[in-house]
Amino acid sequence: MNRAVYAIREAFTNISRNALVVLGAVLAVFISLSLTFGILVFGEIVRVNTTTWANDVRVIAFLSDDLTPAEIDGLQREVRYWPEVRDVFFVSKAEALEEAKELLASNPAALQVILESPDVVPASIRIQPSDPKDYEQIVLRLRGIPGVDKVVSAGPAIDAMIGVRDGLRILFWFATAALTVAAIALIANTIHMAVYARREEIEIMRLVGASNWFIRTPFLVEGAIEGLVGAVLAVTFVVVGHRLLVDRFAGLPQWIDVSVSNGFMLQWGALVLLFGVVTGLIGSSLSLAVHRHLRA
Amino acid sequence: MIRLENVTKVYEGGVVALKDVTVDIQKGEFVFLVGPSGSGKSTLIRLLIREELPTSGDVWVAGKHASQLPNWKVPHLRRSIGTVFQDFKLLPNKTVYENVAFAMEVIGKPKSVVRTQVPQVLKLVGLSAKADRYPRQLSGGEQQRVSVARAFINRPLILLADEPTGNLDPATSVGIMRILDRINRTGTTVVMATHDHAIVDAMRRRVVELERGRVVRDEHRGVYETLEQPPSRPTAVVGTDAATVTDGTADVELEVDAATDADAEEPAGPEPEPAPSAEAGPSEVEESP
Repeated sequence: MNRAVYAIREAFTNISRNALVVLGAVLAVFISLSLTFGILVFGEIVRVNTTTWANDVRVIAFLSDDLTPAEIDGLQREVRYWPEVRDVFFVSKAEALEEAKELLASNPAALQVILESPDVVPASIRIQPSDPKDYEQIVLRLRGIPGVDKVVSAGPAIDAMIGVRDGLRILFWFATAALTVAAIALIANTIHMAVYARREEIEIMRLVGASNWFIRTPFLVEGAIEGLVGAVLAVTFVVVGHRLLVDRFAGLPQWIDVSVSNGFMLQWGALVLLFGVVTGLIGSSLSLAVHRHLRA
Repeated sequence: MIRLENVTKVYEGGVVALKDVTVDIQKGEFVFLVGPSGSGKSTLIRLLIREELPTSGDVWVAGKHASQLPNWKVPHLRRSIGTVFQDFKLLPNKTVYENVAFAMEVIGKPKSVVRTQVPQVLKLVGLSAKADRYPRQLSGGEQQRVSVARAFINRPLILLADEPTGNLDPATSVGIMRILDRINRTGTTVVMATHDHAIVDAMRRRVVELERGRVVRDEHRGVYETLEQPPSRPTAVVGTDAATVTDGTADVELEVDAATDADAEEPAGPEPEPAPSAEAGPSEVEESP
């Protein structure tokens, strides 16, 4: 216990002696882990959204007000027989109005328009394709049908998201790997400087028979602290950044959901912190392994 | 307590520092290690603290086979050895007290033990009144006494001193020797590498003389140089500094004579007589204070 206190106290002394270099190392850890955690969160958002749609992709066909209930029935029956379609739901003007009120709750101006003239909200049929990839076929067929005013699909959004994710992923992981190596090197450098500043003390410690662990622990602790501080900053940055993103998206129609479960954040946040500590330990161990003042 | 058996040490590059050295030192002995610069004294000390490994031969220190000891056990070997160096090796940002306490703290001695032991040892070396001073506020002799205190604080079985008086004037050196003698009387084995004729001659302890890596003399109650030997000995290292200062005032000459030791004899190399007489001078001066 006493030794743990000693090691931590000495580690902080080292850090304060080389504050600027330590700051550089901490920033490197921060940037690399922000990227890592950011990619993880982005990947999770894409996964959540694509799985929702994959189970339940909807093509929405807005219907003209001129159609009679019988015509709508006929249309629904026809669409249901298409091989690409698993199921079809009808959403009436009244139901659509309720839904719109909900979706636009955080957008008072748009809500006002709808409340003043409820007629602008059209009835629609919503289609669940048998295979999510077939949405384009469904869209094309719907466009040729009289009484269908407009067709929207969530498909292109999914394609875009998956495309962006796959493209960025490779780039980001590459950048993360490079930055992690840089972070380890920078931490190793701070430890190197700390050992150099203490070379006289280390020499005397070795002469009087201090154990190698006693001599090395403060430097390992220093590396771990630097890694941990960088990781804490990164996790904070990503969590806060994500919260801001959720707030911005709150006003938009919810065909994309950017929120991520707290469980995911906790679990991966903890792993990122652990990774920061490990990065620090690797950096300091490397430095101690090569330092001539520490050779036995 | 210390045993070297057929020890040879060859450094990288082929420099032979020790050649087939066998020395046996008993518990409680006081041994001077003498010889010119480069004769292997420091190498021998470095072997004892396992700072170096012998190229061949065996080293036993404090009951441990030092030359076979795995690295992770070296700290334990060093806890049974106290070391004093010519350049003191004190930490400038720590007080006298802290410097001595440091040697206990880093091997995990409890605070309560540190608090009782450090004042005792400071008293032994006569620095109780200066416990709160920093090394830069002390004279060379005082700094060396701190370093002796630090070497002795953990009650080592063996005290190694590598030229402990090398940077000190004769009167101050006597003070250090009194402390080393006192430590020796507690049963601690003391091995001191030195160039200081006056001290060796005055103390009359065992003398092991090295020359070019070999033991050329090992005698009890010895002096720095035997009478038969000096004329034949070649001039190994020429102390030009000593020579120039000797041309100056008388007191400077005395000081240099005893302080920088062996070198002082070199100018007088060709004539054997002046050297011993010059040594007699400072040793008298030393006994007076």
